[in-house]
Amino acid sequence: MTVQLQALDRELDRLEGLWSDGLSETYRAYLDSVGQFAAETQPKLALAAALIEVGLRLQGLGGRAAPPTTLLMGDLCLARGSRLLADNAPLAVQVAFARAIESMSSAAASEQPTPTTRQLLATALGAGTPPGVQVR
Amino acid sequence: MTANRIEFDTTRSTEFVDITDRIRESVRRSGLRDGCVHLQSLHTTLGIAVNENEPLLHRDFENLLERLAPTGAGYEHDDFSRRFDVPLGEPVNGHAHCRQLLLTAFATLLVEDGQLVLGRWQSVFAVELDGPRHRQLAVQLDGDFGRRRSDLPESLVEIELARQLMVDPDAVASPMRRLVEAGGKRLRPKLVQLTAAIGPRNDPLRAAELAAAVELLHNATLIHDDYVDESTHRRGRPTVAAEEGPERAIAVGDFYFAKATRLIAEMGNAGVTSALAEALEAICASQIDDVALRGAFPGDRESYLRVVRGKTASLFAAACASGALLSGAEPEVVAALRRYGDLLGIAFQMADDMVDFSPSSGKPVGLDVRQRVLSLPLIYAAEDRVVGPEIRRLLAGSLGDAEVGRVTELVTSCEALTRVRKEAQALVEDAVRELEAVELDGLRPALVGLALSAVDRQS
Repeated sequence: MTVQLQALDRELDRLEGLWSDGLSETYRAYLDSVGQFAAETQPKLALAAALIEVGLRLQGLGGRAAPPTTLLMGDLCLARGSRLLADNAPLAVQVAFARAIESMSSAAASEQPTPTTRQLLATALGAGTPPGVQVR
Repeated sequence: MTANRIEFDTTRSTEFVDITDRIRESVRRSGLRDGCVHLQSLHTTLGIAVNENEPLLHRDFENLLERLAPTGAGYEHDDFSRRFDVPLGEPVNGHAHCRQLLLTAFATLLVEDGQLVLGRWQSVFAVELDGPRHRQLAVQLDGDFGRRRSDLPESLVEIELARQLMVDPDAVASPMRRLVEAGGKRLRPKLVQLTAAIGPRNDPLRAAELAAAVELLHNATLIHDDYVDESTHRRGRPTVAAEEGPERAIAVGDFYFAKATRLIAEMGNAGVTSALAEALEAICASQIDDVALRGAFPGDRESYLRVVRGKTASLFAAACASGALLSGAEPEVVAALRRYGDLLGIAFQMADDMVDFSPSSGKPVGLDVRQRVLSLPLIYAAEDRVVGPEIRRLLAGSLGDAEVGRVTELVTSCEALTRVRKEAQALVEDAVRELEAVELDGLRPALVGLALSAVDRQS
């Protein structure tokens, strides 16, 4: 875990406060969903998913709009999560994440109940990967 | 056809000013491959000559002119008592006018394969006959500026944007459609399209898909920005946040952020995906800095450049790089275009800042001041010895209509706008220079033209 966290240090720039404020728990929760990927990319993909989940929560998507400064922090989480996916995830996973955010934000815009973020993102992490196959 | 002016100062009464390199520079920068350069003197005592650049020969020419039209030889033009409306300070220069008659005020030079056609000993001279003075020559370049690939199929991007919005749920598509249809300069898609025509895998349809995705990404960031800045209008229409509330604005912004990143990923080019993902991250980080710096408003130039580089220039640079990467351009070409985009993006933002102080722009004057948005003219005005203290005092308090009006007045009264304009122009020059060392397959003129138009906010 220590080695994994050291690798993530750079990715937490500006977001250190969030780490102790729930991001670390969310990250750990996603570690269970990245076992099919190569060992060195697992922490990055788990962090990407965690950043996106926390980012959407900070923004207040599907609920009350966050105040401007919190929204910007949420935007940065989303952007960084997206960049981590771009650099480390297979194309199918990148697309599945984007589709998950599209479905959540479209539901929020229509004032429909938003699907559970974690479930959607965990499913996205498994996109295009037959069970038991390790990628990247 | 393109046109420009060559300006210079002469230092003597008769002088041969070699302008060959200046003309070569005009040809090179225009991208003219085959055609003509037309020169015209804009003065009645300045001639043009094509001859050898040899100082003793110039002395011979001067002596010849002196023999043919001697100084002070009793020219009627110099008899002011017989002339009407003689301006104050009118020079005694009948000889100079007569000498110009012996030369020419026009020249046409040929260009072949991008090079000025001149014989081994030929140089082009502006011949001063009544100096010292400030002089101008009009230059027009006409001919084949490279292949037509630089003609952008802009309609493809509009079709692609409409196609993408057509398939989206109405709750998100309608607000985005209003924003897209309200216009905008579409600079980022243009950059993608142009740079996507450079490499060997030029595919206008794929380029339009990428360009549309970049425009959607840009608009998604604007929707969130408008909520953060509490802006009520954009492109002359109410913002999504103002019209439909912040909750809807956040959802629409998120939807198109995700959709754009998906469309980009689906293009299947890892370099393109990474370039744009990095740009988006830089934009978001800079937005945080931007808002944080409003506490120290108006800030300083260094902070300004840091924010602008992330907030605006990063997407310009990524648009250029991604188009080139999509087309399979060489790494050094991609790198040069990225630097071009970065410099252009900063220049564009500086020009945009100046619009806030221009009543003829069609936008409300002083909006950036009111919203305490980082602005280089304001930073420079606040540093001004004369108006700076009052500006800083006004900015330290609450900003109502009267205060915003006064700040605007003070900014326009000092040298701040001139400084920013010059700085933006210098950045465009730097951006254009980045294109010099790489082979752009005839697209240089279009990229130069786009750079110039990006900072010309009157048009």
